[in-house]
Amino acid sequence: MVGPTPAIIAVLANKILIRSALTFLPVLLVVTYTREARRDLRNVCRAHEECVVRQFGRAALLSATEFGAFQALRLREKHGLDVQLERVRPFEPDDVPAHVREAARAYESRETASTPYRQFAAGRDLPTTDRLRGEEL
Amino acid sequence: MKLRVRGTTYEGRAVDLRCRDVRGETVAAAVRGERSQPAVDAPTAGPVYDYCGHVHPGMGLRTKTALAAAARSRGHETAYDDAIAELRDQLADLDRAEPSLPRARDPVDDATVADLRESAAEVRGRLAARETLGAETAPIEERVRETARTLAERETERAAAEESRRQRRDRAREYRDRQARRRRLADRLANRRRDARRELLDRIEEPFAAALAAVPGWPADSRPDDPFDATPVPAALAILRLASTDAPVVLETDRFPSPAAAADWLGAPLVRC
Repeated sequence: MVGPTPAIIAVLANKILIRSALTFLPVLLVVTYTREARRDLRNVCRAHEECVVRQFGRAALLSATEFGAFQALRLREKHGLDVQLERVRPFEPDDVPAHVREAARAYESRETASTPYRQFAAGRDLPTTDRLRGEEL
Repeated sequence: MKLRVRGTTYEGRAVDLRCRDVRGETVAAAVRGERSQPAVDAPTAGPVYDYCGHVHPGMGLRTKTALAAAARSRGHETAYDDAIAELRDQLADLDRAEPSLPRARDPVDDATVADLRESAAEVRGRLAARETLGAETAPIEERVRETARTLAERETERAAAEESRRQRRDRAREYRDRQARRRRLADRLANRRRDARRELLDRIEEPFAAALAAVPGWPADSRPDDPFDATPVPAALAILRLASTDAPVVLETDRFPSPAAAADWLGAPLVRC
């Protein structure tokens, strides 16, 4: 018999699933715009750590589960438009075309810190700011 | 000052109510205009009064805030006052109202519209085939009209749902931009107020220390090194001595030989309770 036993395959599949969930699943972004909303967001994060991906001062990333959405909607119900809800997708450098990555790498290793990008890109094979601005990812 | 307690009218710069069963906090609330009894006829209480209007052993005191108010009552101005007024105006001008959003509509998904388009094309094809054959077309024409109508309805619904979603997001964003602007203005206002307070305190710290030193009935060994650490009653008395107070102060402490002496020392009309 060749290859791993079914049990090992199951464990591997499980691992891959968890990994891909972390790498590719969107998360919920909650941003608050008043002190009261911010306080309640902090309380939600403290009480339900399991659904908090990351907490910032007046914003937090919650896992995109129905429970995460439930907590986010509670805040929205209570504070109306003072709570902003968004769904955000993970972003990796590889998700961006190579010329953008190269431009960023080259510009950050420039010798003169005060050189503006426009000027830096002019003599090189790098995209102009206008071109970068005009292209959706 | 004129004061009427249950049928008796008191008048003068210093009124002694020690023999009357009336609480100091009741009189202070009446002076602030928070209650109608006892009836008080006296100048309106200024900001200093909120901190030091009622001096009694159980009082608390935000010494620095009260002292800054006292400096203001003496007409002190700061280099930040114009900026403070400007920021307050800007804050007051910002619309606080949360906008009403258009109703959220049920989204029509792309697959539904694609399916409808496909079946509309298919019935049109069948109609064309029948026309070519010279077969009867009436029933199939009805189907063509019906599928075209359904497709148009779904497309309209979808456009309306998209438009509603776009408007909801636009209005929410405008509102949140305004909220963010309000927060920045409020932060700047708070900073300027702190600056102004520091300037007022710098200017009034020495007179405050001198007034504290003159507070009667306060043993030397209980006086702190830093004037701002003074206990509430002596601090409040010193602040009142510095402040320009037209409203009658309510006093519940035995440091002065008489209400009139207290009124003279504080430089304010006074009710002794």
